Amino acid sequence: MSVETVTTKGEEVVKGVTGVKNTADKIKFNIKYLGPIFALIIFLSLWQFVPVLLDIKPFILPKPTDVVEAAIEDWHLLWPAMQVTIFESVIGFLLSAIVGIAISVLLASSRVLEISLYPYAVILQTIPVVAIAPIVVIWFGSGFNSIVIISFLIGFFPIVSNTLMGLNSVDKNMGDLFKLYNASKWQTMFKLRIPAAMPFIVSGLKISCTLAIIGSITGEYIAGIGGGKGGLGYSITVAAVQLKTPYLFACAITGALFGIVFYLLVSFLSRLILKSWHESAMKVEK
Amino acid sequence: MGVIENEIVLFQGVDKIYNTGTVALNQLNLSVKEGEFISFLGPSGCGKSTALRMVAGLGEATKGKIEVFGKNPKDVIKTSNDVAFVFQDANLLPWRTVLDNVLLPLELRGSDKNSRKETAIKALEMVGLKDHLKSYPRQLSGGMKMRVSIARALAAKPKLLLMDEPFAALDEMTRQTLQMDLLNIWEKENMSVLFVTHNVYEAVYLSTRIAVMSARPGRLSNLIDVELPYPRERTNSKFTEYVDIASQSLEHSMGRKELG
Repeated sequence: MSVETVTTKGEEVVKGVTGVKNTADKIKFNIKYLGPIFALIIFLSLWQFVPVLLDIKPFILPKPTDVVEAAIEDWHLLWPAMQVTIFESVIGFLLSAIVGIAISVLLASSRVLEISLYPYAVILQTIPVVAIAPIVVIWFGSGFNSIVIISFLIGFFPIVSNTLMGLNSVDKNMGDLFKLYNASKWQTMFKLRIPAAMPFIVSGLKISCTLAIIGSITGEYIAGIGGGKGGLGYSITVAAVQLKTPYLFACAITGALFGIVFYLLVSFLSRLILKSWHESAMKVEK
Repeated sequence: MGVIENEIVLFQGVDKIYNTGTVALNQLNLSVKEGEFISFLGPSGCGKSTALRMVAGLGEATKGKIEVFGKNPKDVIKTSNDVAFVFQDANLLPWRTVLDNVLLPLELRGSDKNSRKETAIKALEMVGLKDHLKSYPRQLSGGMKMRVSIARALAAKPKLLLMDEPFAALDEMTRQTLQMDLLNIWEKENMSVLFVTHNVYEAVYLSTRIAVMSARPGRLSNLIDVELPYPRERTNSKFTEYVDIASQSLEHSMGRKELG
């Protein structure tokens, strides 16, 4: 009897403790999520009331409600523009990923090629793509092709430099192990160097996916064409010329939201790819 | 020439001088017979790992000759599975499961696909890891990782096993169990082992012969035949005697360096 009571008491104590722990977790959770939400609400409120108080015109600084109104009113323009930009960015990104990784693998498979070309890959990366975008337009004309190429170019170099770094980061002992089993060059490439480079490749992809959006919006500034095929960048330039500032804000925010979603998606895929990796190996990607 | 019939490894006047001018090995002469378990015992910098790597064809002698099964080591690894190497860290591929890690040498050697898995599982059984086929290296302890590494070396059924301080990073308990298991495998599998260590007890416990090395320049300073039956008792007075002999020999080899 007495033992039983002790156990029940013990259980109660344990329950009590977990209860306390749960509330502590809840508070932590609340602060973690409510903090940023509060900050956003305060920011939006200030944004809403400051233009009213200081009597700032909507075409200089639109209120959040103006932006939402503009987005709803011009949804028939915004939605197709968004689709165009998403399509261009995804194609540009996929191209830079596929071509970037393939070229890196080829470069890394030959010491001579790599030594000769790697410095240029680094130098080319520092060229502001905006500066060469007009040349792309001269070569490929206005419209989809040029925009995708600009998007591709801006995302391409980070992938190449990351992949090359990864392919050359193989542990010396593992390289020796493959030598010992008389592995061929391509066996070493596919069974050792590429898997070992995965964390690096993935971090390159994460950089490129946001750059691809910047690339396509920049491309649309310069090479965008009207008729519902211009994308967000084209819409922004038009809105700026027409002083439709609220709609311009709506376009910019839409672009940002797309960027966040695209980044999260690529991060999620990266996690899947690296699932079997050791945590310490995953730290490389930061 | 005087090639003894069952000679497995031969060092003949081997020098190894690195580009930096460091003399890693100076006039190493040693002959390893079939079935022997030889330990290279010495302080760091005595070239014991260098010697082992050259046997595996991972480095070349500056002067002199190394033969493995009467051939150039580089040719041996190109044409056969006869030599396997166990590194100091387990050196497992983190993206592969335990089973896939052990399968690696069989894949690289292009051995028969159907029997591969069976061979790999047998090797894992030998090291007592049959229940962890699907685990990833990160889920294993240091001792278990080393067991996988040994299984990987055994999978290709080598005649000569080279081990470069494989147990140095493990705790004492794990090390002793692994030493025992290694001896069992060595007796069963009929192979020869070249083992590098700086641990006197380990050398005496494992080896049929101990090659004591001295450092800077790395040279063979003494060869000790350990005439004790297996399994050896660490508390046995004979065992302690051999430990003393090896320790003195090691001290002597280091002392000479100080004098010189």
